[in-house]
Amino acid sequence: MPTGAGPATVVDGIGYRVEAGEVFGIAGESGSGKTMSVLALLGLLPRGAAVEGSAVFQGRDLLAMGDRERRRICGRELGMVFQDPMTSLHPMLSVGTQLTEHVRRHLGLGRRDAAGRAVELLREVRIPDPEGALDAFPHQFSGGMRQRIAIAIALACRPKLLVADEPTTALDVTVQAGIIRLLDRLRHESGLAIVLITHDLGVLSAIADRIAIFYAGRVAEAGGREDLLQRPRHPYTRGLLDALPHPEAAATPLVAIGGQPPAPQDVPPGCAFHPRCGFAKAACREAIPPLVPANGRMLACPVDPFRG
Amino acid sequence: MTAALELEDVVVEYTPRGRPPVRAVAGASIAVSRGQVVGLVGESGCGKSTLARAAVGMVEPLSGSIRFEGKEVRPLRRRARPRELARLQMVFQNPFSSLNPRRRVGDQIAEAIAVLGLAPRARRAARVAQLLEQVGLAADAGRRYPHEFSGGQRQRIAIARALAANPSVIVLDEPLASLDASAQAQIANLLAALARELELGLLLISHDLAIVRHVADVVAVMYLGVVVEAAPTQELWATPLHPYTEALIAAVPHADGAGTLPLALPGEVPDPARPPPGCRFHPRCPYAFEPCPTEDPPLVELAPRRTAACWLQRPGEAPAPPAAKARDLSPAARSG
Repeated sequence: MPTGAGPATVVDGIGYRVEAGEVFGIAGESGSGKTMSVLALLGLLPRGAAVEGSAVFQGRDLLAMGDRERRRICGRELGMVFQDPMTSLHPMLSVGTQLTEHVRRHLGLGRRDAAGRAVELLREVRIPDPEGALDAFPHQFSGGMRQRIAIAIALACRPKLLVADEPTTALDVTVQAGIIRLLDRLRHESGLAIVLITHDLGVLSAIADRIAIFYAGRVAEAGGREDLLQRPRHPYTRGLLDALPHPEAAATPLVAIGGQPPAPQDVPPGCAFHPRCGFAKAACREAIPPLVPANGRMLACPVDPFRG
Repeated sequence: MTAALELEDVVVEYTPRGRPPVRAVAGASIAVSRGQVVGLVGESGCGKSTLARAAVGMVEPLSGSIRFEGKEVRPLRRRARPRELARLQMVFQNPFSSLNPRRRVGDQIAEAIAVLGLAPRARRAARVAQLLEQVGLAADAGRRYPHEFSGGQRQRIAIARALAANPSVIVLDEPLASLDASAQAQIANLLAALARELELGLLLISHDLAIVRHVADVVAVMYLGVVVEAAPTQELWATPLHPYTEALIAAVPHADGAGTLPLALPGEVPDPARPPPGCRFHPRCPYAFEPCPTEDPPLVELAPRRTAACWLQRPGEAPAPPAAKARDLSPAARSG
């Protein structure tokens, strides 16, 4: 990515697989490359950004195909939901127009069939009075309802994969709970694969099957939900979990990770986390630790202070 | 112990152009003593931010009383704010918009000291350095500009500037909402430490229950403009007495790796311009029974320092979780 101080690497060697019906969670602090890694595969990076590697979706490489072909796939077989539903909803078009435009364009349905499909979708995301909602505009809905409408649009063409970037971050916990349950129902009922990006490990703990922890554009640790959250091995994963308030230890101070994550243009040499790590050794300052298998998970920490 | 900041039956109305007035706060009482952290939680639109703004005199209440150190808090007008109100400070959610981007942070803190005449010119720099250290920044951080700091550091600067006025109470409106988890933990620890060390009273408004649980001594829960429950933090979490408090707690996901889905509260927060009759929560309440749709339950004391506004909890009876109380109802009452 171009920055004021020359090009900087914001995502560096990320790899993962997501199967049908599976929820793959990506977590990390702001600036860790979570969002950039998915914008890259959707072809939505800012001008001037360069991407290497491959992103194979149903046998075809999204990074190798032309814009026109990728646009046809994105929105039809691949749905997207972002943190702020108002960035993806058009404020001046009715909900019905936005929903039917989508299915008419991508599925080639007639006006009447498209309206029927729109009502069905709004019902699926539990919008009360779906027929009435078709004529309403986005501003007439609450934040939680808008996000559910954005999800309905993303699901309109029955995608195989949903990429959701902080879909519940701006919402209240009660509304967030509804969205989490909705995503869980969709993956079980229709085999939807979901890439879920969030900084909230609680949300991933509720719904993700596997989780990757990003730090400074690289994967620090990745593994199964239960294993990773109950027995974190990377000092950064451990730090993220320790910073969360714990039900049992309410009176003790929270254990915060010191310092801040680095900006992409000044990622420290060696392990990017070493300046904030209590276990860093001399070697950590020199070589970038490779991501290697470690008892059924992937770990990029040769020190491995919490080895079982 | 008398409270430093005391709000009683505060009502705040907004009148949107061409529409009927909206009662954002419909009679709320809350008290903050020195050295005490009071958490105020609830969903967006419940009126918690409006109540916070009324508490410091930024919006005018329609009725009710707001007293700070025994004196009435009057809303801001064109004349200068009375000097004694400087000891009541506020910190906002976004430190980027509350700090001046073009001025060194040290100058912004020094200005607060100068305006209030709290230190002679010669001693201001030393006081600024002391305040910066108090919030966990380097003493010489004052030479830099806001953009040179991270979000968490900027929030520390905003807190340092509030502390410059030697406050006894600070009202904080979502001070952690725009921060990463580790920065949130750092600021939460800082607030708890400041309350203890400086004997500060803090009114902490947040939608993040987990953080409030961690730092608040007492928590008040708001729903649609009214306080529905207030209790010491540990007791509130162990045994919520109001069904809304119970639903809020059940909706928080835990990072325990267990794969448990959080419980969703059905329905939407109603339009505050047209609140439901009776108990405002009854259309979403799983335990609603005969009196709920018609009669508004008062906030009553059920145990020492524990209040709730729910027909299931009767004064004089031992308080118990809503589900247990609902089981004891006669079938006739339940079917109502």
